[in-house]
Amino acid sequence: MRAERDGVDVDDPWAAIEVCYERGWTDGLPVVPPTEALVEHTLAAGPWTPDHVLLFEPVRSRAVTAEKAAINAVMAGCRPEYFPVVGAALTALGDPAFELHGPATSTGGAALMVIVNGPARLHLGVNGTANLFGPGFRANATIGRALRLVLLNCLDCRPGVLDKSTQGWPGKYSLCFAENEEASPWEPLSVARGFRADQSTVTVYAAESGHNVLSHGTRSPERLLALFADAMAGLGSLSPGRSVIVVAPEHAKHLRHAGWDRARTQAWLYEHAWRSLADLKRAGKVEPAFFTNPKLLEWIYRDADGGTPSGPLDPDLAERVTAADEVVRVHRGLGPEDILLCVGGGEAGGHSAFFPSWSRGRSVPFVTREVPS
Amino acid sequence: MIRILDPTLRTALSSTASRAPRARHLAGATIGLLANGKSNGIMLLDRIADVLRERHGVGEVVRVAKTNASVPVSDEDAEMLAKRCAAVITAIGD
Repeated sequence: MRAERDGVDVDDPWAAIEVCYERGWTDGLPVVPPTEALVEHTLAAGPWTPDHVLLFEPVRSRAVTAEKAAINAVMAGCRPEYFPVVGAALTALGDPAFELHGPATSTGGAALMVIVNGPARLHLGVNGTANLFGPGFRANATIGRALRLVLLNCLDCRPGVLDKSTQGWPGKYSLCFAENEEASPWEPLSVARGFRADQSTVTVYAAESGHNVLSHGTRSPERLLALFADAMAGLGSLSPGRSVIVVAPEHAKHLRHAGWDRARTQAWLYEHAWRSLADLKRAGKVEPAFFTNPKLLEWIYRDADGGTPSGPLDPDLAERVTAADEVVRVHRGLGPEDILLCVGGGEAGGHSAFFPSWSRGRSVPFVTREVPS
Repeated sequence: MIRILDPTLRTALSSTASRAPRARHLAGATIGLLANGKSNGIMLLDRIADVLRERHGVGEVVRVAKTNASVPVSDEDAEMLAKRCAAVITAIGD
């Protein structure tokens, strides 16, 4: 017989909800009281033993077990069958390359985006169609919420304490959606990332708030994509980081008719999402420290005549705009592979979305994991 | 009566983590400064080191700066700090 789990005894479910508030265990919304029975059902829906570590965060040495993940998933309102998706997403967030401590605590206020591909989308009802980022769908609302509750309760990412988000944004409550694979002109995102179409996957990303890319006026791929590139090149969020583009079905149709594949679309967007170094300097986007940082110098000058400087430059250059700066193109990201394309949304409407990555630097990579069946 | 389970790691942490012994005397002690890699961490720690010298007469100061705030300090640096220092101060300075 297992040892009794830590917990609190309360009179009824309403008292339980209030106890969760009192103990600081919620994201501000009421939670489902995590009773032993509900947690057992949830654990039983996944392949993991209760003490299996789904996520280890090395900076603060925190190990999140399947049992703790299940408690938080119940609290978030997940049905037990969502648990394999929650567990896979936690595994993805725990990939050392994702460096979770940064996006979990930074002033940048990232949301943890989860994109679901494959058969799990359909049998769990993860919405990838109308209002996929909005309310109305239990799987979307609760799977992402479970991750946030794990950050709050297991990693101590309390707002203003360890989570230092200057503003944060509503995606931090939950940002989970399915790819609308049926409306995509391309292979599913999961296949582009090395999985089979019959495998279910989650892809995670540290996302800043999204920008609507609105166009009802053109079917030309170049004209349409110019709008995306313009949003991507906005100086407020321009960085050497990544991009997620969620293409609306209507926009995807125009790319399908014109025969633009994923690689060509990524390459075109990278090529056109740039601002001049002079623009960056005039907007104060170039900090003196950039000129002594080899990685940032490589970003700024990778497209310049003469290439990247071999050593540090004078930091005073940050505020001095030269004629040569007018023709140096500083792109968003370091290459086409930094742009993740997927398709999502309802049939009607020319509304796509661009989500910049967290951080003024490279941010963290996209990580994809299979959802266990 | 219903029982709800604890979603935190409170118990797991209390059984595995313990505090390092405190340094009893600072005069002449070697102090480690561990900056977390954000832009002003070193500046903040240097000021703290000045105060420790003035007020407590600390000895040598050993500086380590992480290059990436999102990852832990390297094992080599952690071992070096543990071996050489009576106390280590870490700071963010964002």
